[in-house]
Parts: sequence; structure tokens; C-alpha cells
Amino acid sequence: MDSDAAQKTWELENNIQTLPSCDEIFRYDAEQQRQIIDAKPWEKDPHFFKDIKISALALLKMVMHARSGGTLEVMGLMLGKVEDNTMIVMDAFALPVEGTETRVNAQAQAYEYMTAYMEAAKEVGRMEHAVGWYHSHPGYGCWLSGIDVSTQMLNQTYQEPFVAIVVDPVRTVSAGKVCLGAFRTYPKGYKPPNEEPSEYQTIPLNKIEDFGVHCKQYYPLEISYFKSALDRRLLDSLWNKYWVNTLGSSGLLTNTEYTTGQIMDLSEKLEQSENFLGRGTDVNEKRSEDKLSKATRDCSRSTIELIHGLMAQIVKDKLFNKVGLGK
Amino acid sequence: MEQMEVDVDMSAKPSTSSSAAAGSSMTVDKTADQNPQPQGNIMAAAGTSGSVTISLHPLVIMNISEHWTRFRAQHGEPRQVYGALIGKQKGRNIEIMNSFELKTDVIGDETVINKDYYNKKEQQYKQVFSDLDFIGWYTTGDNPTADDIKIQRQIAAINECPIMLQLNPLSRSVDHLPLKLFESLIDLVDGEATMLFVPLTYTLATEEAERIGVDHVARMTSNESGEKSVVAEHLVAQDSAIKMLNTRIKIVLQYIRDVEAGKLRANQEILREAYALCHRLPVMQVPAFQEEFYTQCNDVGLISYLGTLTKGCNDMHHFVNKFNMLYDRQGSSRRMRGLYY
Repeated sequence: MDSDAAQKTWELENNIQTLPSCDEIFRYDAEQQRQIIDAKPWEKDPHFFKDIKISALALLKMVMHARSGGTLEVMGLMLGKVEDNTMIVMDAFALPVEGTETRVNAQAQAYEYMTAYMEAAKEVGRMEHAVGWYHSHPGYGCWLSGIDVSTQMLNQTYQEPFVAIVVDPVRTVSAGKVCLGAFRTYPKGYKPPNEEPSEYQTIPLNKIEDFGVHCKQYYPLEISYFKSALDRRLLDSLWNKYWVNTLGSSGLLTNTEYTTGQIMDLSEKLEQSENFLGRGTDVNEKRSEDKLSKATRDCSRSTIELIHGLMAQIVKDKLFNKVGLGK
Repeated sequence: MEQMEVDVDMSAKPSTSSSAAAGSSMTVDKTADQNPQPQGNIMAAAGTSGSVTISLHPLVIMNISEHWTRFRAQHGEPRQVYGALIGKQKGRNIEIMNSFELKTDVIGDETVINKDYYNKKEQQYKQVFSDLDFIGWYTTGDNPTADDIKIQRQIAAINECPIMLQLNPLSRSVDHLPLKLFESLIDLVDGEATMLFVPLTYTLATEEAERIGVDHVARMTSNESGEKSVVAEHLVAQDSAIKMLNTRIKIVLQYIRDVEAGKLRANQEILREAYALCHRLPVMQVPAFQEEFYTQCNDVGLISYLGTLTKGCNDMHHFVNKFNMLYDRQGSSRRMRGLYY
């Protein structure tokens, strides 16, 4: 009797039969998706997609894949679906392409792999289509370069709905939080109505031109993440083992190379701004001012990251090295 | 007596009742390991220790979780899922890095792993993760069943000693991860060579980017709005880690107090470990470390000093510009500028 009642309450608590509402998103409705794809609502409005939802799994896979590439750029595809103005990324998989900026373009090479993978995925119940591609920018921030923009434009012409995601694994580690951006390009010749300045980010000097030329051709999507009820439970218990790693990691040590690079870059930027200051005619006034302020902002950011690292170190020093010394 | 429920009758497609039964037996989970009675005829005798050490990446756990959730969402009811684990093996150390789904066919009552599908997938992952090898397989459920042995036999055709990972998605416990790892050995039972599961212990492996990713998804709330201080964000992570450490220490302390008070019987091993832990504090007292530490502090201090200087320059520059704007618009600006720069 008792066990019966206990089982009942347990089933109720765990929603054995009914799906928890947060898991609803994992269901794939092929018919509905086909309707959306046939309707092509995004053709009318170049700013159609405003949000993107990324599953915890896809996020982890992308970050880890990007990190495994080291200083090389890696790339992969994302599977998912669309819902109103939101793109939903359920899963991601790596493509056998890696290399520098120019080679990441080599999509044709991976095309065969891509089709085979997606066919195989369908067989095990992953029904979603490809909704985008991701690649990494190790150390130089989340934005689209000229080549990325043209790749994405091509994709948006032939493979809609499609989104481009950029992950920076180096900054992720350095800042201690995931550095990721999702973008869609505007159609050719489209002028965005109100150019709200996008969130400021540090871009190294040798890339800044590439960034500046193309930054008006795409817009970022609002990113949010989701996880299932089971994920939530697992993550909660994962933390029980994971806290050691949080305490044990040192941002200062893992990132020495990046920090040095940042400082080099900063010094170059400062030198440049100094040149502008020296010349200082009224026409150049605005630009030089921009340069110095930007350099200052980059400077503050890297300083903050370093101070965070040091804070963690000092906390640990106090915690483990100063124990019992007072008495 | 509830332990008896943990039996082999869990069929390939767990019905509600059997998964519920599996759930209700979770409470006896911890004792099951020390239970000298073999569970059915699939577990090796207690005391058999595993031959390999395993480190597991959280990505794998998330992958299985997603696989199960997706199937449940698609089919409307929970069912057992199967997949492959890939990773690196070095001697007796195995690192499970990734996983992918496997296709199964049901022939009669038996679940059969689709080999063609596996071969196809193997070719694919070899192209991307060339340094990873096939390690074993995963499934969901509470305890290994006779059916799992059958699959283990099939998998053994691919990799001679596969690892089996079992995740229990219906577990209620929050304190420990509801997953178990097994390897198999072949032993004579009643004069017959039988495959038996041996439980393995595991550690969680991680690297920086993964840790941050997991932290990120674990901590995110549904409404991520409002301005948050970067410093606070960083410190909260440290704070929760230290809180965790604190609770652990409290447990140890409580145990020792209880032993002192005579409430508990002293376990020499635990006491020794606790003593060793205390003995290691302070962790680093050598002058070399102190020196390095101060150098590091100084470095960061210097960088922040430079940063502040740059900021000061910038402010000064702004100020001078504004000053120039106000007091001499055009004419003598060149002379003034010469003065300032």
C-alpha cells in the first residue's frame, strides 16, 4: 500500500507521462517546419530573425570544438528549427575542415561529409535540418570577416533559414564566460535603417580593417540558451563534483600567451593613436580621439580580466596558505 | 528486501512500471555496491575491482541527456537509448571525450545494434576527431540487465573490452550523478563462461573552455536581464565553490566530533585521510612560491597601473580638447596645441 502511494507521488513529481513544459522544445514537428520553410517569411523582412535559442549541448559542443582547434579556425554545422522570429539550435557537429581564414571558406570540401552526417542523424531520430554554421575566431572576437560575410550571404540565398555563429575560445577562457555571437547578413544593397552601435569589443589591429569594412553588412541576433529538465538535474549534481575545478583553475596561468598578445596589440594601438595626436589637425581630431578612447577601453578590459585572475589567486592563497598561521 | 526489486526483468522497452520500480530502488543504490549478493547473474562478485581508471567529460553526460530527452519528446514516453562512447586510451587510463547515437533494431525480443550504421558513423568521426577511438557504449536505465549483457557481447565484437555507461534519467538524487560505469569480464558461473559486469569508478575530466561552458549553462536563468557587475559575476563563481568546500569540511568536522563524542565508531581510514588533509595546510610555504606569487601580483599590479595611466591620459586628452573648444575655437588653437602636446 505504502509503496503504491509512494510510487504515485514519485510519478507525479517526475512527470513520467507528461512532458515537462521546458522539454516541449525538443519535439520536432516536420509538418509545421515544412510550412514555415515553404512560407519563407524571412524574404519579406531582412531583419526577420531577431532571437536565437541555443541548446546547452550545442553550446558545449561548439565551445569544445573551437577550443580543440587551438589557434586554428575550426568550423561546423548546426541543426535546429525555426519558430516565429526565433531560430532554435538543437545540436551542432564538427566538419572536417580547419585552417586559417581563407581555408574556412572551403565548404565544398566538407559538403559530402555534411550530407552523410545529416542522413545518419535522421536515422537515429534527429529530424532537424541544418540551420546554420559556426566557426571559431581564436583570440580576435566575435564578428564576421569579409569572407564570412560572403559565405553567409551565399548560404542565406540558397539555404534559408541560415545563421552564422562565431565562437572565440581564447576569449572565453580569458574572460571566464562564453564569448559567442550569432549573425545574419543583410541582402546586398540593403541599408540598415537605424545604425545602433553594436556592443563594443576588442579587435586586434591586424583585423580591424576587415571588421570595419564589413561590419554594416550584418546584424547580431539576441542569444539565449535552454536546457531540458534532465539537463538541469544533471548539471546540479555535476556542480557537486565540479566546484573543485572552479577553485583549481587559474585564469592567469592558462592565458599567459593571450595576455602578452593583448599587451602587444595595445601598445601598437597606443602608438598609432599617438601618431594621430601628433599630427592633430581638426579633421583628424575625431578619429584620433576615437583611437585613444578605444585603446583605453581595450586596456581596461584586459586589466579587469587580469585583476579577476589575481583575485582568484589571492583568495586561494588566503584559503590554503594562510591557514593556521595566525594562531 | 527492496533490493530484490533490482532484477533482470527490466525489458528492452521499459514500461512505466518497471522504470518506476527502478526509481523506487534508487534509495538502496548506495548499499547495492556493498551488497555481497550478486544481482541476478550479471554482476561480478563484490570486491572485484576494475582494471582501468576512467575520466569522463561532462559533454558526454549532456549528450546522453539530450538523446534521452529528445526521444522522450518525440515519442511521448521515455525509452531506453543507445549510443557509442569515443575517447582516448593510454595504458589503463581511459578518457571518454565524446559520444554519438547508435541505431538499434528490434529483432524478436532482442535489441540489436546496427553494425552498418556504426561503421558509417565511425568513418565520420574519424575524419573530425582522428585521435579518438571507440571506447564503449552508453544506455539509460537504473541497473544493468541481462539485455545489456547481450548488447555488451555485440559491442565486444568492435572493441574487445568495451566500457558501459549507464545513466539513470529518472533518479531523484541530487547529491551524486546518476550514472554508473561498468566493464565486463568473463567468468565461469556454473561451469559456463558468462559475461559479468564489474563496476568502475570515474572522475570528471575537464578543460578550461568546457568548465566555463558548463558553468555558463548551469548558472543561466530563464530571465537573464538587468545590469550585472562583471566583478560580482566572477566572485559569485568563486564564492559558490568555496561554499561547497565549506560544506565538505563541515561534514568531515561533524564526523570527527561524533567520533569524539562516541556516537560513531572510528574509521581509521577516514581519520587518517582527514589528518593528512589538515597536515597539508598551509599548502605552499616555500620561499620560491612566495617569490613567484609576489612577482605575479606585481605583474598584474603593473598592468593595472599602466591601464590606469592610459585611462588618465585619455581623460586628460578629452579635457584638453573640451578646454580648447571652449576658450579658443579656431585662431590660436595651433599654438595652444603645441603647448599641450
